[in-house]
Amino acid sequence: MDEEDFLEQSHGISQDQRAELWLGALVFVVVGVLLAMLAFVTYQAWPSFAHNGLAWFGPGGSIDQQITRIFTSGDLKQTPVYTFHAWPLIWSTILTTVGAISIAFVSSLFIAVFIVEFAPPWLRRVLEPVVRLLASVPSVIYGLAGVLVLVPFINNHLITQSEKASVTPIISLSGAGLLPAVVVLTVMISPIMIAVFVDGLRAVPRGWLEGSLALGVNRWRTFWKVGVRTVRPVLVAGTVLATARALGEAIMLLMVSGGVGFAPNPLDGPTFFFEPFRTLAATIIAFDDERSSPPMKHTLYAIAAVLLFSAAMLSFIGWAAKRPMRRYGVIA
Amino acid sequence: MRLRSRLRGLVALAAVIPVVALPASAGATTLFGSGSSAEQPILNVLFKAYNKLHHNVRFNYLPDGGNAGVTDVQAGRRLFSVNTRAPLPSDAGTTYFKLWLDGLCIAVNPQNSVSNLTIAQTKDIFTGVFTNWSQPGGSNLSSTIDPFGRNSSAGLYTFFQQAVLGGATQSSNVAQETSDGLVATNVSKDPNAIGYIGLANSGKGSGVKRLSINGIACSQTEIKSETYPLFRYAWGVYPTNHPSTAVEKFFDWVRKSKQAGQIINRGGAVAAFNNK
Repeated sequence: MDEEDFLEQSHGISQDQRAELWLGALVFVVVGVLLAMLAFVTYQAWPSFAHNGLAWFGPGGSIDQQITRIFTSGDLKQTPVYTFHAWPLIWSTILTTVGAISIAFVSSLFIAVFIVEFAPPWLRRVLEPVVRLLASVPSVIYGLAGVLVLVPFINNHLITQSEKASVTPIISLSGAGLLPAVVVLTVMISPIMIAVFVDGLRAVPRGWLEGSLALGVNRWRTFWKVGVRTVRPVLVAGTVLATARALGEAIMLLMVSGGVGFAPNPLDGPTFFFEPFRTLAATIIAFDDERSSPPMKHTLYAIAAVLLFSAAMLSFIGWAAKRPMRRYGVIA
Repeated sequence: MRLRSRLRGLVALAAVIPVVALPASAGATTLFGSGSSAEQPILNVLFKAYNKLHHNVRFNYLPDGGNAGVTDVQAGRRLFSVNTRAPLPSDAGTTYFKLWLDGLCIAVNPQNSVSNLTIAQTKDIFTGVFTNWSQPGGSNLSSTIDPFGRNSSAGLYTFFQQAVLGGATQSSNVAQETSDGLVATNVSKDPNAIGYIGLANSGKGSGVKRLSINGIACSQTEIKSETYPLFRYAWGVYPTNHPSTAVEKFFDWVRKSKQAGQIINRGGAVAAFNNK
């Protein structure tokens, strides 16, 4: 301790307290930025919601034609048109996200259990770095792989001529659609889920598992009934993380989804899996050039507001799902 | 005390660095532009070549589409823009300057034997009237047609809409891609595909087969003689009031100089006014 520091302490606040104040100020800055972003997006999005009301979320008319009319009405001499019924986009987002998450959750859980408990050490040493590497691959590379390999494969080998003829000229089944999008999205979010699940499963207290084994329960049952049950909060956290990534995925989906504002219809039978669509985030990217037209700008911000709101709801659901788990002394 | 003096030293260093760095970057002007993404490959080579001749001029180009580029210039956000459609009344406040010629090619997969279409047949395909390859005729395929195109924010779509569709919107079964290159990739991978692609992206290495329209091939000679029906000029756009002299000099170089003409031809477009 130097002479000057000693003198300073007796005058005002200490170094510790200064550090506290700085960090507290940073927290306020972060929260402030978040609130400012929310306020800005909502303010820009308001005209679109005000003109459409709740019908913004409903079906009605061809959304691509509505977008063109909104964009061309941005000329200063015309009255702006805001009519927008985003149901095809919302439905496509729900389909891809729910589809990818459900497949990814089941497979990631099994893979994580295998990596932590049942894999031989040499295999574990190979699998873990590979999974973490896959989690850090940029999503546009997955999109490229989808466009160059998966989409032509589906087009040439899985779609029959009769299926193509049955939907033309409303849409064209050219390989890009629900199936490659869900497959690529699943492959993209699984590594995140696996990494989170593995970390959680590793943190299960060893004593609990050994106690169960000592009572004569076999390895498989022990791990599922004791280990996996303990880490339920981690499963929720991993799912929320992966869902947030899936919701915001835009560029990759734009490449493999066909880019048409169409709501895939499950009642179409097998054709349902090949129908093209466009999600909310992909629409923002596809029509970002048209941001110079004011009604289009407000519509794009409205879509962004919906995405922000879903992300917030996701966090809330994650928090709410973990609350009942606290009773059992689980690390929630 | 040691920590505080070290901190003082760091702050002093941080204040000195921008002062030292400023003279190094002074004198270099960056010209900000935006506009057509179809012309971007050629523009990038032109920017680099011009920078080699004039070391202090650099370019920053945002390919947000021809229509958006004009609005950027009107709003003063950009110094120049490159557009691929002729000036409209809504482009008030800007001056259009012809740079080079380009063609819109209709391309199919090499496995498709069709080699010629009329404009009316192309319009029928992209408005959903023709849905099977046996309908326009000349094709060895009898499968469903898979049309590929661009979405409504692309300048190429506006050109296609005016020149081929006569103002009608393209049918909902046209898959909307975000760039020329993606349309070419999709057409090269799907035997039943047809798409509209710029001249630059439908060349020999792209994997697609260009069709002749009304009997005239989509090639450099036909476009230069303006016999090919789907040709267009790439226009340089700059504000009428107070244009930047650096931008005007660049556009003059692009339009007239021999070196720029070579770059344009090599890039797949057609040099219209350049010295040989």
